[in-house]
Amino acid sequence: MANYKPFEMIAFTGARMLEDDTMVCVGTGLPIVAAMFAQLTHAPNLNMIFEAGSLAAVLEQGLPLSVGDTRACRKAMYAKGLCGTFELTQRGYADYAFIGGAQIDMYGNINSHFQGGSYYRPAVRFPGSGGAGSMAANCEKTIAIMALEKRRFVERLDFVTSVGYGDGSPGYRQRAGILGSGPYRVITHQALFGFDDKTRRMMLLEVAKGITAEDVMYQVGFDLLVAPDLQEMAEPGEEELLLLREKCDPDGYLLQREVQK
Amino acid sequence: MQETSHSDIRKISSLSRWTIDRREQEPFTYWGASPAQARSCAVAKKKGLYDKRTTMKKAVGRYLRDGINIGIGGFVNTRTPVAIVHEIIRQGALDLTLSFQSNSICAELLAGAMILDPDHLSIRRIELAWCGYEIIGLAPLFRYLTANGLIELDDYTNYGMAARFKAGAMGVPFLPTRDHGGSDMELANRGKMTTCPFSGDNVYLVPACHPDLGIVHVQAADMYGNSRIFGALCTCPEIAQASVNTIVTAEQIIASDAIRKHPNLTEIPYPVVDAVVHQPFGATPGACYGNYWFDMEYIRNFREICEDFRTTGNKNKLRDFYDKHIFDVDFDEFLDQKPYPVLQELCRQDGDQPIIMD
Repeated sequence: MANYKPFEMIAFTGARMLEDDTMVCVGTGLPIVAAMFAQLTHAPNLNMIFEAGSLAAVLEQGLPLSVGDTRACRKAMYAKGLCGTFELTQRGYADYAFIGGAQIDMYGNINSHFQGGSYYRPAVRFPGSGGAGSMAANCEKTIAIMALEKRRFVERLDFVTSVGYGDGSPGYRQRAGILGSGPYRVITHQALFGFDDKTRRMMLLEVAKGITAEDVMYQVGFDLLVAPDLQEMAEPGEEELLLLREKCDPDGYLLQREVQK
Repeated sequence: MQETSHSDIRKISSLSRWTIDRREQEPFTYWGASPAQARSCAVAKKKGLYDKRTTMKKAVGRYLRDGINIGIGGFVNTRTPVAIVHEIIRQGALDLTLSFQSNSICAELLAGAMILDPDHLSIRRIELAWCGYEIIGLAPLFRYLTANGLIELDDYTNYGMAARFKAGAMGVPFLPTRDHGGSDMELANRGKMTTCPFSGDNVYLVPACHPDLGIVHVQAADMYGNSRIFGALCTCPEIAQASVNTIVTAEQIIASDAIRKHPNLTEIPYPVVDAVVHQPFGATPGACYGNYWFDMEYIRNFREICEDFRTTGNKNKLRDFYDKHIFDVDFDEFLDQKPYPVLQELCRQDGDQPIIMD
């Protein structure tokens, strides 16, 4: 078995979720790495939207270190600004929103505004919505990356930034005036989650080798559904790790970090 | 407008009754110019072609005053108008409102100035989508100001802020967007849910944003203010056109003949620009496509100094940083502090992104 780091597993799994011939609007960091890896493997005709303004760039200068990085415009086919890119997503030309956040609930709603205290005096203020709130509201499907920790998989968010299925009722997104079918996958290094069609609740689909559904439930602060045909997560092999390490994030900015305990 | 339109966000919101009421009961006021004020200022301007080149000191001196809304161009670390921000910090102004998309270094520099001397520069409010350093970490001073309740925020998505600047640039009072609804931003920000008069569906409206002063850094401008931008435009054209007054700093001043040769490349038209300042490296430590990449080491160092203040409360390192890089020098002298190989390396890291100057 290849020896991989947690974030390498996340990027590898993220890439698996992206189909060829689609468009992904990428948030900063791991989503970019995952999309780059997908392009290098099974999805050569996957293209990226960077919210600052570029479409279908060729990331030959290496990993853009922010979604506004000039490298994210390299050999793009269209470079405008935020209006140009979000008009495309709102119009329906982005199949995936690929985002992160600080907390997620069972309906795939995500918080990236603050934790603890109040809105006007937060204990820890995070950066805010950025593009994530737009992407979750008007790309077609939302893929989220989250560390598998109890403090992140919570019963109730301190603030709803990126809308998932709201309270789980069927018309929540429509009444919110937003678009897209909503949450699709949630990726961690030890578990992959989807959402139950009927209840719109988060459902465990895959677990990493050596991890049980009970282990995952212990890290999740709400009642987790478990797929009847729970699968084992695919692992990156030597060849894939080489691609991730040498082509996608050669400086190890993202992939070589450890998960916080 | 039907005030009763809303999503079901209250069913899942953790915001306190007090937080929600505070925003709901507060009468709407513009945190900058109103559309009517912005329009009459535009009408009153001389529209002829005249040489708008000036010095940074004069440009900022002419438009910076207490209580204004400053619209900051760029995106996180791309084309950040840092040179103008240094001058704003030197001249100082109180009760500022800042409006921007995603920002790191400019907002943090202004926040640091406020922390060092709130009688010289102070921020009252920020309307924003995002403030942080992406992979480097959270923005320590933004964290400090919010945790201590020292600034008021108005939170939108990045499309929300873009639509707000765009509404300002279009001369319309608001734009409908297909986001914010169903999130806590619906309760916390100053936009409003309404019913589409055509479909009857809920749709979220965001108010136009007209900064009193727009600050934008571009690759090239002519002396009249016609500006070219390469790479991501961010929301710079919209901010420039929405603002009552706009200062453009440019890496390069190009001939107006070049502008007339490729008018399609003009992203900001001359009438909306009030001052043009030639400022090479005007975005550093941010990046400027076709010129230089961002200065990761400088940004990390500044962030560490800020984080040190946030965790210890000791301002000495922060004060030394501001004295050395801002208060004791102008921007060209600040650039002089950087060893030539450092600037050369930043230019090399840009990787010859293509820009058109002729």
